[in-house]
Amino acid sequence: MIQIEKVTKTYENEKALHGISLSVGKGSIYGLLGTNGAGKTTLLKILAGIYRPDEGNVKVDNQPIYENVKLKEKVVFISDNLYFFPQATIEQMAAYYRSFYPSWNEERYQTMQKVFQINPKRKLQRLSKGMQRQAAFWLSLSAMPEVLILDEPIDGLDPVMRQKIKNLLFQDVADRELTVVISSHNLREIEDICDHVGIMHRGNIVVEKDLDDLKSDTHKIQAAFSSEEQEQRILEQLTVLHQEKRGSVLLVIAKGQKEAVEHIVHSSKPLVFDLLPLTLEEIFIYEMGGIGYEIENILL
Amino acid sequence: MFELDVRSRKPIYEQLITNIKQLIVSNVLQPDEKLPSVRMLSKQLTINPNTIQKAYRELEREGYLYSASRKGYFVAPIELVSNDQKLSELKEHIQELLKEAVYFGLTKDELERWFNEIQEGGASSDPNRKSDEDI
Repeated sequence: MIQIEKVTKTYENEKALHGISLSVGKGSIYGLLGTNGAGKTTLLKILAGIYRPDEGNVKVDNQPIYENVKLKEKVVFISDNLYFFPQATIEQMAAYYRSFYPSWNEERYQTMQKVFQINPKRKLQRLSKGMQRQAAFWLSLSAMPEVLILDEPIDGLDPVMRQKIKNLLFQDVADRELTVVISSHNLREIEDICDHVGIMHRGNIVVEKDLDDLKSDTHKIQAAFSSEEQEQRILEQLTVLHQEKRGSVLLVIAKGQKEAVEHIVHSSKPLVFDLLPLTLEEIFIYEMGGIGYEIENILL
Repeated sequence: MFELDVRSRKPIYEQLITNIKQLIVSNVLQPDEKLPSVRMLSKQLTINPNTIQKAYRELEREGYLYSASRKGYFVAPIELVSNDQKLSELKEHIQELLKEAVYFGLTKDELERWFNEIQEGGASSDPNRKSDEDI
């Protein structure tokens, strides 16, 4: 559904994107993660057709998105800085969306009032930050997009509303193969929502994978051995991302198939051996550590 | 019907697979029974439909489910499930437990007695308790 090929973007003297390529399949929910200033928002704005890439192609449904009005009717972007017309009420914004998006579904708009329970006659600027977000989702989902691009969408939503919005998104993904691209720092949230993730750092994609594959490909190993040599031997055989010693217990983050890793460790007859899947947060931290973005800088 | 722990380290699709397998093995889900549709389950559990689809497909590959085009997924009659594979999976768990039991003094005879108890159909747990106290 979405193809991004070797896209670069430079602001003044600053190179924001260094030839990024990624693809998102139809009906997939893609999570874009990254360090601060990695270029996530720039990439999303290019994807939404707001910015023009300096080089490379951005295609949605096999057509270039930039200045493509017909295509943009199927794409909705919720920016992290929401914009509504000054003094506009939800109703008035809905009228504007209705005129812009031919696939606008009035019935849906009316039904969703039950979900959000905000009076559509209220002025958006009088609403709280979280309620403005809700209104943005309400309007966007009523426009029945084929592609929904969300930049830090969960900020400011309460847990009940998050769950409701997730549920609405999943229904659209299941029923009409909506494609969603989400950027977020909240890895817990991404982990629950997405099926694919891409991790960005300094204008490049560092890792891109099916989330479950990523998780089943990296393991946290806690093991203790009777001798140093045995410890060394398994460390040499494993693809180690990170290692540390806690007392006599060795903690290793290693890549590879679960069975293969288990086999290697078992062959050294460990006294204690535990193999755990990693959380997305841990994967993020160790992958970043691997390319020189140290853990100390990430943990607050 | 499905109990998922979103805070667990285990990927949700693995949890789904384990859950459904348990329901099939314990006969809560009967052969040829239809599983909830991807759409329904996604809505009920608030889980990415792609994750559920993936779990169903994996279960089909392992022979626990079969799919009828456009009608959804059904529980496969038990003969279709490969016993070898299931046994090798269980072996892992059992050996893990055995290791601990051996450490606490389990003998081969004792293990055999446990095995016989199960074959005789449950039997009393008294001998077990006694041996626990011995330790």
